[in-house]
Amino acid sequence: MDLETYQSTLARLLTTAWLLPLCGFVIEIFAGWWSNRRSKAAAYLAVFCIATGFVCSLTALLYWGEKTEWAAFAGHAAGHGEAGAEHAAGAHDGAHANAAHHAAAGAAAHATPAYPLAVSGTHYVLVQFGRLRVAIDYYIDSLTLAMFTMVTLIASLIHVFAIGYMGDELTDDHEDHEVHTSHGHLHRPGRYYRFFAYLSLFSFSMLGLVLAGNVFLVFVFWELVGICSYFLIGFYTERRSACLAANKAFIMNRVGDFGFLIGLMILWTWFGTFQFAERTEDGQTTPGLFQMLRTPEGEILRLNTQSGQRVVLVDSHGDPLLDPTTREPKTVPYLLLVAAGMGIFAGCIGKSAQFPLQTWLPDAMEGPTPVSALVHSATMVAAGVYLTGRFYPMFMPEVLLAIAYVGCITLFLAATIAVVATDIKRVLAYSTISQLGYMMLGLGVGAWGAGLFHLITHAFFKSLMFLCSGAVIYGCHHVQEMPRMGGLRRKMPITAYTMLVGVIAICGLAIPWPTVFGEKIAFSGYHSKDAIVAAALTFAQLNPKHILLFLLPLVGAGITAFYMFRLWFYTFAGTPRDEHVYEHAHEAPAVMWIPLVVLSLFAAFCAVGGEEGPLFKLLLNSEPAGVAAGRESAVPGGISIPGHAAVAANHVAAGVDALIVAGLGAFLAYVFYGVRWLNPAEVKNQFAGLHRFLIEKWRFDELYDVMFTRPVHIIARWCTWIDRTVFDGLLHAAARLALDVARWDRKFDEGVVDGLVNKVGDLTFATGRSFRVIQTGRLRQYVMFIVVGVIVIGVAGILFVTQLRAG
Amino acid sequence: MSDNALLSLIIFLPTIGALGLMCFNAKAEEAMRNFALVITAATFVLTLLLLGRFDPAQAGVQLKVLAEWIPNWNVNYFLGVDGISLPLVLLTSLISLLGMLASWSVKKQIRGYLILYLLLETGMLGVFLALDFFLFYVFWEVMLLPMYFLIGIWGGPRREYAAIKFFLYTLAGSVLMLIALLMFYFGSGADRTFDLIRLAEIGQGRVPGVQFSEFVQITAFILLFIGFAIKVPVFPFHTWLPDAHVEAPTPISMILAGVLLKMGGYGILRVAFPICPVGAQYAAYCLVLLGVISILYGAFAAMAQTDFKRLVAYSSVSHMGYVLLGIAVWKLADPNLGTTAGAEYWESGINAAMFQMLAHGISSAGMFFMVGVIYDRVHHRDLNQFGGLMGLMPEYGGLAVGIFFAGLGLPGLCGFIGEVFSVLSAWNYSPLLAILSAAGVILTAGYILWAVQRVYLGPEYKGPHREDITPMNGREASVGYVLLAFAIILGVYPESMFGLMRETNKQLVVNMTEGYENSKKNAPKVSAVTPDLGEGVLFDPIAIPANPGAGALAPAIRGR
Amino acid sequence: MPAVELDVYLFVAAVLFVCGAVCMATKRNAIGVLMGVELVLNGANLNFVAFARYTALGLDGQVIALFVIVLAAAEAAVALAIALSFYNNHLTIDVDRGNELHG
Repeated sequence: MDLETYQSTLARLLTTAWLLPLCGFVIEIFAGWWSNRRSKAAAYLAVFCIATGFVCSLTALLYWGEKTEWAAFAGHAAGHGEAGAEHAAGAHDGAHANAAHHAAAGAAAHATPAYPLAVSGTHYVLVQFGRLRVAIDYYIDSLTLAMFTMVTLIASLIHVFAIGYMGDELTDDHEDHEVHTSHGHLHRPGRYYRFFAYLSLFSFSMLGLVLAGNVFLVFVFWELVGICSYFLIGFYTERRSACLAANKAFIMNRVGDFGFLIGLMILWTWFGTFQFAERTEDGQTTPGLFQMLRTPEGEILRLNTQSGQRVVLVDSHGDPLLDPTTREPKTVPYLLLVAAGMGIFAGCIGKSAQFPLQTWLPDAMEGPTPVSALVHSATMVAAGVYLTGRFYPMFMPEVLLAIAYVGCITLFLAATIAVVATDIKRVLAYSTISQLGYMMLGLGVGAWGAGLFHLITHAFFKSLMFLCSGAVIYGCHHVQEMPRMGGLRRKMPITAYTMLVGVIAICGLAIPWPTVFGEKIAFSGYHSKDAIVAAALTFAQLNPKHILLFLLPLVGAGITAFYMFRLWFYTFAGTPRDEHVYEHAHEAPAVMWIPLVVLSLFAAFCAVGGEEGPLFKLLLNSEPAGVAAGRESAVPGGISIPGHAAVAANHVAAGVDALIVAGLGAFLAYVFYGVRWLNPAEVKNQFAGLHRFLIEKWRFDELYDVMFTRPVHIIARWCTWIDRTVFDGLLHAAARLALDVARWDRKFDEGVVDGLVNKVGDLTFATGRSFRVIQTGRLRQYVMFIVVGVIVIGVAGILFVTQLRAG
Repeated sequence: MSDNALLSLIIFLPTIGALGLMCFNAKAEEAMRNFALVITAATFVLTLLLLGRFDPAQAGVQLKVLAEWIPNWNVNYFLGVDGISLPLVLLTSLISLLGMLASWSVKKQIRGYLILYLLLETGMLGVFLALDFFLFYVFWEVMLLPMYFLIGIWGGPRREYAAIKFFLYTLAGSVLMLIALLMFYFGSGADRTFDLIRLAEIGQGRVPGVQFSEFVQITAFILLFIGFAIKVPVFPFHTWLPDAHVEAPTPISMILAGVLLKMGGYGILRVAFPICPVGAQYAAYCLVLLGVISILYGAFAAMAQTDFKRLVAYSSVSHMGYVLLGIAVWKLADPNLGTTAGAEYWESGINAAMFQMLAHGISSAGMFFMVGVIYDRVHHRDLNQFGGLMGLMPEYGGLAVGIFFAGLGLPGLCGFIGEVFSVLSAWNYSPLLAILSAAGVILTAGYILWAVQRVYLGPEYKGPHREDITPMNGREASVGYVLLAFAIILGVYPESMFGLMRETNKQLVVNMTEGYENSKKNAPKVSAVTPDLGEGVLFDPIAIPANPGAGALAPAIRGR
Repeated sequence: MPAVELDVYLFVAAVLFVCGAVCMATKRNAIGVLMGVELVLNGANLNFVAFARYTALGLDGQVIALFVIVLAAAEAAVALAIALSFYNNHLTIDVDRGNELHG
């Protein structure tokens, strides 16, 4: 088995996993022709596609691990995180982390020279202009494999869950109680198959995003997941709120994509390629983006010139790239790199619903709950974090700081709103935003592994909680308001306790002291959040100006615990608040609770071992070079980024802080909503203004309405006005001018030319008239005239003749 | 079939069909429609044959046809295809075929309609295939007149206004083109010519002893550009478009948006750019700026419309802005020498612009068709009186949403590639304008999604004629599916079109760069040609035959 | 005997002419006017005859005189008929009473 087989096997497995859902989509969307609305055939097909995809992904992961001799786990026993295998803890090995490979450089130097840890290749070329080339590339490293396995697994479970959840669409006459038409409630045919077609299309897009080997392709699938999200949020197209939410989601994502596009433009113009990895074609090697920017050690070569700081581009050996014509080293202005990083990150902000583009995600809860679980918590919204991680080498320290602050603000802001939200899905939505903020923060403060670690663990426990909320909504007949619930754990125990697993996981609660097999008793969230908080603390110590980056997440951890337990107590504990709802509530069928149980296992154990566990190691394997070591700022007052060793030193302290705060939050929730010693309504009245502010989501919707929506409509009206009055006005004025000229021409013709002729006629006539006076009709006068005339003529004649004679 | 016959047949088969329609009984409407459909389908097949004979690896003009036409003035019947014209010829015959399928909705005076329609097709194909400027001009005008009547007779309530507006705008453009045509003719040295290839060589300074001066190039370019910009349409010259589109019957709107607008872009690439490299470079910033303004302005204006068709018409203004943007991103490293900076980005811009023309041809024709389908049923286009069509006509709704998303520039559909690459190529030229043009993606999403929401989504249909809403018939569905299929093919495999045009566009970039350099090098000598453009010669027709060799030169289509 | 000179004839003719003209101008009676016309005509006739006698005109003058006489007769006939008709219409032959020729 040679290298080529290794590469093509991996590529084929993942490509199969990627394309199967697309085939599924094409068949399912036409299910109206080959099936009927009461058939589950489309759903089974969709499940088959994605489950096969999961098998392929898992095979690929195992194959990759086996071929690379489990180098990613550095000699630990075989096994991988997702299976929840017991894992012998090993001491954290700083030296190993240091040797972790630069994501794009492949694994040339490490222990497994035969089979690189990262492979890349091309399916086919999309466009090529000279040296500029964009192709359908793939790039496979441990991050890709982990994401693939996670996405296909969660998607499979959610597909299964949806078979039950969407059951009321299995009819020819579905009544939508939320839509009122002129004839009462809306009746329409069920759209079961269409839902699964959209889910399949989404799975295809999401997997494509992860598999993409260049950033342009990421953008392509970025848009595609966006449009799938649009379809799925607007699945109930008849509901106005759903349509609006779908539009809002897509357009706000496009705002982010505007930044993304600017980033792409800069990269395209200054680097001339979009590829992550280098490409060898006809014996000529074209370096990828990351190789150009960073040396194999992960450093950038700065150059101070008169026109400002520039960065020298290098080839994969760290030697400067030369311009083919001038033989000068190729450089890029540093500021442009910052701009490109900001641009790409703007796309991530949109996709991951970070501040200031966070407002679309809560509205996106209009979609069916499996959609919220799959698209809006586990996968698509995490794509922003994924891209931030994937694109990490491109981010300059300033950009990283911006990422950290955006994440920090987001996590706090969303957590505060979640405290007052009463819709069960909206609480989870804000929680998602908040957790995504944690991931961004982690990436921003240099904890690359921790951020992506949290991405995976969060995907499990958040999709679990969403599915649980789906089961609750299903069981309560589409009641989503928590004030109408309560005590439901007696009616739906499986849902309640799997949910509790998720809640504990997200809060990061753990029992640190008695250890089992050398492990703390803790669910996945504890490990990942702990890692982020530790990194934030270290970062704040290194850069004392940015202490907020530690304090807010710490407070956020407390708030998280509070609102998550609030949700659980509100829903499942105590006495029922609405008897009617409680009476009719029931546990979900097996097709729905089995995925819950499976997910709860993963939510609990996927991060087993914490930062020495297999999952984290697997991820860390793709960590860009130079991250592990950290970076001391060269300039005093500049931004220093902590390395792994520094973070590890703070780990215990940060973990204790976070645990105490989370415990406090959970306890407070217990006091308010569990045993109800304190009445939340009183607190609400005490802080009515604050409550109102939070209920109105910090008034961002109003702000954006005033800042963007209305001005855009006003400008749009202006444009039409300009068209109608200015351009058409000019045109009409020109037309009128032409008509006027024609009219003047007519006047000239009629007045001057005709007038002259008429004048002559008139004059003649008038002369005639004037002679009338002497025509008296008197004969005698006439005779007199004759006589006088004859005499005058005679005399005149004589005089004339004589004059003539004389002359 | 020889190449000679093939190209001529492509152009004149519709005319023959129009003559054939005369033989039908005036009451045999169905037969006439089917006959015209067969003619357009046959034309499409012929263009496919043309595609089969075309060699994409060759940059220059292929399959040339040359015959004397008016030897006294050295006017020739000169046809040929290259990578720029071939895709557009294919697009024209395809859209004509689909438009004919959509013509069943036209009810009155069928024979006249079909005859004019076929003549229009002849005019359009002629424009794309002609390589003699005079012939080009003739076809340009030939296409204008049927269009005028098609809008003016078969249009909506304000058809006269729209038809006259369209006619006058286009005519104004033609006049400017005519002036430029004469400038070139009388400036082309002793053996005067209308041959576009020869003129391009002269303009690029590749013919010893004769060259258009910078002044001539700039003036002619501005004249030509305004003439073509009206057709594109570019921002200040666009107001004929919404009116013409709104009033025109559905198939004519499809042709207008799908093909006629492309003539503007084609004219710039075929005539204005190659002949006047200096003019093109001189006006490049203005062109890019106008492109960006069109993108944003069209999108904003589309957002404010309440008439469905008018919205789609403004979206055309916006989308065609990307064409101009992509064409004109020609950056010089050194204005004095004329070295092109980042020629590959310019090349990608031109390719993207060409692709955008094709993509827009598919998507906008589709959008107009979709508007037409619903208009035929409910007889209104008020966006605020639609809603719920997705439930009433699921197949139509699905197709329409697909095609509207192609217009939105969704990856995987045709609109994306052209838009994104013209925007990407713009940064090299001007970061500011590139950023502004990128902002178009937000606005486009805004107005298209809003329109989709108001028309297709929502609980129920709110307008009149609720009872007339019936599912699409097979003919309508087939048009929709074909358009959507092409949108997907172009979006997923853009190489299918890039492959045809790549070499030609590359050559264009090289020629233009050289042309500019030559012009700069020869600058002092150039004045020798200018006196030839003196008034006495220009306006004295007797001088033409007196010119040595003019009449006898027709056979000497020099060296190609 | 001293021959009667031409001047005398001319003088008499002139007197006749003037008398006729005055008669035409002053008479209100249509017949009177006609009589004036006769005088004028005869004054002219006298001139013709005299010039025929004293110059080389020869017979021509006398021929014209004869013409004039015939003409005068015809004219008188017509004129009298007009006068009669005038009378029938106006019951008078006062020419001042008729102004149908008024423009």
